[in-house]
Amino acid sequence: MDWKIRRFGQGLFTVWAVVSLTFFITRMMPGNPVDAFVAQIGPELENPQEAYELAETYMNINPEAPLHVAYRDYMISMVQGDLGRSMSQNAEVTELMAEAVPWTLFVMSWAIAISFVVGISLGAIMAYWEGSTFDTAVTGYATTVTSIPFYVLALLLLMVFGYQLGWFPTGGRQPSGVEAGFNLPFMLGMIHHAALPVFSMLVASGAASLTMRGNSVRILGEDYLRVARLRGLADRTIAVRYVARNAILPMYTGLMIAIGTMFGGAVVLEEIYTYRGMGYYMIQAVRMRDYPLMMGAFTVITIAVVIALLIADLTYGKIDPRAGGENREAF
Amino acid sequence: MKPSEDPSDDATDPRAGASIDEFVPDRPDDATDGAADSATAVRSDGGTVDADSPFETTASVAETRTDRVDRFFEEYIRTPWSILRTDWRALAAFAILGTYILIATVGVYLIEPTESAHGPQLLGVFETWEFPLGTTSSGKDVLALAVHSTPSILVMMASGAVFTVVIGSFFGVVAGYKGGMVDTVLSTITDVFINIPGLPLVIVLAMLLEEWINNPVALGVLLAVAAWAGLARSIRSQVLTIRSESFIEAARAMDLPTRWILLREIIPHLLPYIVVNMMNAARRVIFAAVALYFLGVLPFSDANWGVMLNNAYNAGALYRTSAIHWLLVPMIAITGIAIGLILLAQSLDQVFNPRIRARHQDLGDDDQIEPDSETDTKDMMNV
Amino acid sequence: MTISQSAAQADRPNGDVIMELDDTSVEFGMSRGRSRVLNGVDFEVSRDEIVGVIGESGSGKSMFASAMLDAVPEPGVTTGDVTYYPEDDDPVSVTDLSKEELRRFRWEEVSMVFQGAMSSFNPVLKIRTHFVETLSAHDYNVERGLERVRELLEDLYLEPERMLESYPHELSGGMKQRVLIALSLVLDPEMLVMDEPTAALDLLMQRSIISLLHDIQDKHDLTIVFITHDLPLVANLADRLAVLYAFEFAEVGPADDILEDPAHPYTRALLNATPNLSAPLEEMRPIEGESPDPVNIPEGCSYHPRCPIADEMCRSHDPDAYDAGADHDVHCHHWEDSIENIDNALASSGSMDRSRRTAADRSADEEPVVSLDDIEVEFGSENDGLLDFGDSEIVTAVDGISLDIYQNDVVVLVGESGCGKTTLGKTAVGLQQPTDGTIEYKGRDIWEGSGNSSTLADKEIRRALQIVHQDPGSSLNSHHRVRTILETPLKRWHSDLDGNDRRERILGMLEYVGISPPEDYIDRYPHQLSGGEKQRVALIRAMLINPDLILADEAVSALDVSLRVSTMDLMIELQDVFNTSYLAISHDLSNARYFAEKTGGRIGVMYLGELVEIGSPEQIIHDPKHPYTQALRWATPELDRDEDIDDNPMRTIDVPDQTNMPSGCRYHTRCPKAREVCRTQKPELIDRSDEDGVQHTACFRALEDHEYWDSEPIAEEPPAAEETGSAD
Repeated sequence: MDWKIRRFGQGLFTVWAVVSLTFFITRMMPGNPVDAFVAQIGPELENPQEAYELAETYMNINPEAPLHVAYRDYMISMVQGDLGRSMSQNAEVTELMAEAVPWTLFVMSWAIAISFVVGISLGAIMAYWEGSTFDTAVTGYATTVTSIPFYVLALLLLMVFGYQLGWFPTGGRQPSGVEAGFNLPFMLGMIHHAALPVFSMLVASGAASLTMRGNSVRILGEDYLRVARLRGLADRTIAVRYVARNAILPMYTGLMIAIGTMFGGAVVLEEIYTYRGMGYYMIQAVRMRDYPLMMGAFTVITIAVVIALLIADLTYGKIDPRAGGENREAF
Repeated sequence: MKPSEDPSDDATDPRAGASIDEFVPDRPDDATDGAADSATAVRSDGGTVDADSPFETTASVAETRTDRVDRFFEEYIRTPWSILRTDWRALAAFAILGTYILIATVGVYLIEPTESAHGPQLLGVFETWEFPLGTTSSGKDVLALAVHSTPSILVMMASGAVFTVVIGSFFGVVAGYKGGMVDTVLSTITDVFINIPGLPLVIVLAMLLEEWINNPVALGVLLAVAAWAGLARSIRSQVLTIRSESFIEAARAMDLPTRWILLREIIPHLLPYIVVNMMNAARRVIFAAVALYFLGVLPFSDANWGVMLNNAYNAGALYRTSAIHWLLVPMIAITGIAIGLILLAQSLDQVFNPRIRARHQDLGDDDQIEPDSETDTKDMMNV
Repeated sequence: MTISQSAAQADRPNGDVIMELDDTSVEFGMSRGRSRVLNGVDFEVSRDEIVGVIGESGSGKSMFASAMLDAVPEPGVTTGDVTYYPEDDDPVSVTDLSKEELRRFRWEEVSMVFQGAMSSFNPVLKIRTHFVETLSAHDYNVERGLERVRELLEDLYLEPERMLESYPHELSGGMKQRVLIALSLVLDPEMLVMDEPTAALDLLMQRSIISLLHDIQDKHDLTIVFITHDLPLVANLADRLAVLYAFEFAEVGPADDILEDPAHPYTRALLNATPNLSAPLEEMRPIEGESPDPVNIPEGCSYHPRCPIADEMCRSHDPDAYDAGADHDVHCHHWEDSIENIDNALASSGSMDRSRRTAADRSADEEPVVSLDDIEVEFGSENDGLLDFGDSEIVTAVDGISLDIYQNDVVVLVGESGCGKTTLGKTAVGLQQPTDGTIEYKGRDIWEGSGNSSTLADKEIRRALQIVHQDPGSSLNSHHRVRTILETPLKRWHSDLDGNDRRERILGMLEYVGISPPEDYIDRYPHQLSGGEKQRVALIRAMLINPDLILADEAVSALDVSLRVSTMDLMIELQDVFNTSYLAISHDLSNARYFAEKTGGRIGVMYLGELVEIGSPEQIIHDPKHPYTQALRWATPELDRDEDIDDNPMRTIDVPDQTNMPSGCRYHTRCPKAREVCRTQKPELIDRSDEDGVQHTACFRALEDHEYWDSEPIAEEPPAAEETGSAD
């Protein structure tokens, strides 16, 4: 029980650290956004003093306030869910993000789920027929696929299935001309738009399959497997309860790192497919030098990853009875 | 083998005739004032009085310089090579990576840099020998662009990979070995970085540090910022296992310095893992760098695969068949080097496996009964 | 040694045979050639008997076990006939069964208990699931099956419900082993094959399980094949004994005959090489040489290279089975005269008339090398600082122990695992900082000036205190060659030596401890050494820097039986040469006795972090005052068949939970002689030394007038399920 609280505290700590980092970046780094903002719009205003007020509106940071006061105010507005105001979109960052987050989550959770299911299945079959042609072929596939960056695959898929064959839309996130809501055409359209981005992330399945194969081969040599065979358990029971379950457990860490990588990858993926999620807004913000939106998107993506990892960590305890604290004895 | 026999019973023994007393080494009582004194005290009657004793022996025949050079050569060159020579993956990896290095060093002199209107617009692949890989919409030679991108990419890759591994190993090894408060602090920092998605962080930093990241080394280091934490965490957990091994305790009992224990006792066990991860880090650095150039968030001056991708994409290469080569050439360049890195990682693992090492050396009879352990490379290829 | 159907076997009535192996071999194809890990053995197991099969590691004993279930792991191949005779059905040829028949045969007719109980359970499934899936895989009624399981678990002194609801990692080693026995009996098999079932357990637990096996065999009409490297362990359990050497049987016969009248020279040597409590030390001697490699088995009798009475005949002709009495077969050409000759031959092969001091000779005013004063060591879940809400559970591993170790002294600590003996040892050599109390090296506090650091500030003290570990595999860094491993301490402490001097010294040392040719070994990696060689290298490494005290942490327990005595002899010899003291740790009273008695040292008995008795080996072995020492004494197997092993002198089998130590005398929860006063009062060490030797005992019974004698006995109850369990 207590390690769950501890893990939760750790998540909060990370969010705090990241938000503080964004404050530090926005306010204190040489060439920081606040100074740039003031320098940029100050001369255009009749009263240069207004630039400071505008800075506070857009970035929650008053450049004239003492550092600790500015920090306190910044943290307060963050806790209140105020991420500032976007200059390019002329809207509250929080509103923009609230609208974009579900789309990114939708694509990324499917991408992670599908690539791991594919990877684990391939790995399990490889281990079962260790040394077969299938094994060699999939090892080759996995090595190749791991060598392809996901955005290269995304471009190729878009080129072939989007433009050449025209099977999938080349951009956007929802069908046009269909009323948004829980109706079948809209849902199908959503899936249609998300399909290519999701499949672009399949490159992650390569590494997962090799890991799964290695783990399974190792489990096949364990004593308890030999005992289970002697006890006369059915092959299916052994494959599912003994091999698969024990081989998948150690991959949980890999999955957690993949969550971070994939959410980060959303930045590129959404840009390629002009899929308006968090990453898309972030790149737009970078292009427009829209610092509030950029920092806001960065903060929101980080929080999403923190929450995803937290859920992964906490559920791990449910599936592995051995999970718990670790030894940190000093010497 | 008669370890329990009294030495004085055995007439053929080289130590024959020596009484038990002569075997007694000088006691530390002679030198309780400190380590330095003890060392000299041992020396004082070390090699002279009991030259016969195995415990006080000093050399009669000097190991020549040639012997030592030979031993070094055997250990670090001949053995690894004889292992790698037999592995097709290593040979393929060397061929691939060698080609890239050749292109980056020799190729840039053979193929002249290109500029706008160097040739006709959007020439296809293998249409003329002057532009074998075709041209861009502004008439630049695609081959020349790809070749002249290579040096900066390789430098970026190397600096990023080295930096990732150095920082990751340092955090992991120190946190794991020292434990306690040091571990708590380092692990907390690591955990925070694991939670921050890499690419967005790099984009934010790249935006703000525009002025400093104008060279490939700096960019490599910047990209490593997002990659070291995962490595640090997994190395830490491995160090936690290794440090509880008996040989580490024995080393501590012998008062070997912490630096020695970390570098000579622990790191060799991690080396396969670290090297494999260096290859993976190199791969990820390239992927990330190209992605950033593709997105156009990095300032660029030189030719660059990512910039090529970006330009081709913006020129509509996705739907203009005549421009496809412009897009495909950088894609193949990236994928090719990544394959080379993965194959090298898989085969290098074997060099560090002591069982395989021993088999490639002349030690007379080769009496190992255990079968070779399954190579671990594949498990290490985390996503 | 291919045995023809000899007269001895033909006249055995076939009616009560349950399993017969005829010319059975197991082969593995290896890159260096075919390796026969079981070489054409003939063997019969009679119904309802207990057969003990004894063999050192690499003798083929595990393959023998697997062959009986046709369960040799891939790519091994079993040849020959394995026939199973059901009680009232036709004989079954096990090797010819179909996959489905084999699946039913295993576990329903013959089941098996493996060596690795720790790893025999699926870590993610509850114990209950293991039972249920076994029952349903064989179409047994699960409800009735679980009733039987509960009964079995109770017979094994386990709480059925708690066990069934636990995950494997929540149980201690001894519990897992007993649950595994229950699992193997769940389908009520006729025969049980046990391959080293107790190897990883403490002596007390081993002995308890052995005595439980007796009852279980009676109750369930089982036939048990008990395979072990430890001859004394099965000595009074087995009806018959079979000795495996080099993948063949050397001798098979009734246990009494084999123990009292061994006919094969190997059996005889094995009996002599096994440390035990009663035999005089002079009779114990190591077996020279090493077991042969499966690819390269010697011509003729495979034992001839190590046999003191081998002659031309043995070198050329593989001996068939000779009949050495009723049901007693021996594969030795000279079995008839071997009994007389072996003793003479062995006696002449090495004389050991070492005169040692005894503990009594040690003058009381001699200054101790290392002196422990009221040492206390606690472990707790450490506070991680930031955001730690965990309640830390503190385990006191060592609780107030004082001990002086003199020059050239030997102290052997014995006790169950978890009793704190290793922690105390590491504390004594400065590898573990005590929570309380002081350790002095020649009068200087070793932790002085070290502050919070975990390393000793005084480098000279650090050098003086060294350690040799239990597991030879992990005590040498697998990435370094022998040269580097041994050079490192020389570089650190004898910086005056140059590379050639170091090399010469290392070569000399290797040769001295019997590793030859040293030039060959110096460039090897640890995995190219045998276990005994590794341990000797580890010993040299510690010795090279002239320590005053070496902690030998179970230094011989990972070695083969035949190597233990020789390794201990080597340690004793090195002690003479280097004037070193040993603090040895052992879970095995007979090893402790050998080491301490030969060096005139002391044995200290630890229980739950306390030293409950310490004294000369003669006193501890022959006149133990503390009931716990008496229990250890009971648990130490003897070659004496008359001893009654059913009489467990403890009230519970499992050790109490260490986070919740019993009050008063910590042993009172298991002590058969405990009285009410033991619950509340804690006994101190009482000096009971007399002219026979030194002895200090922490038990009220050592005092003639103590209120103990008027106190009410704690109700005498038969061994019951553990009150509190210790999980690891």
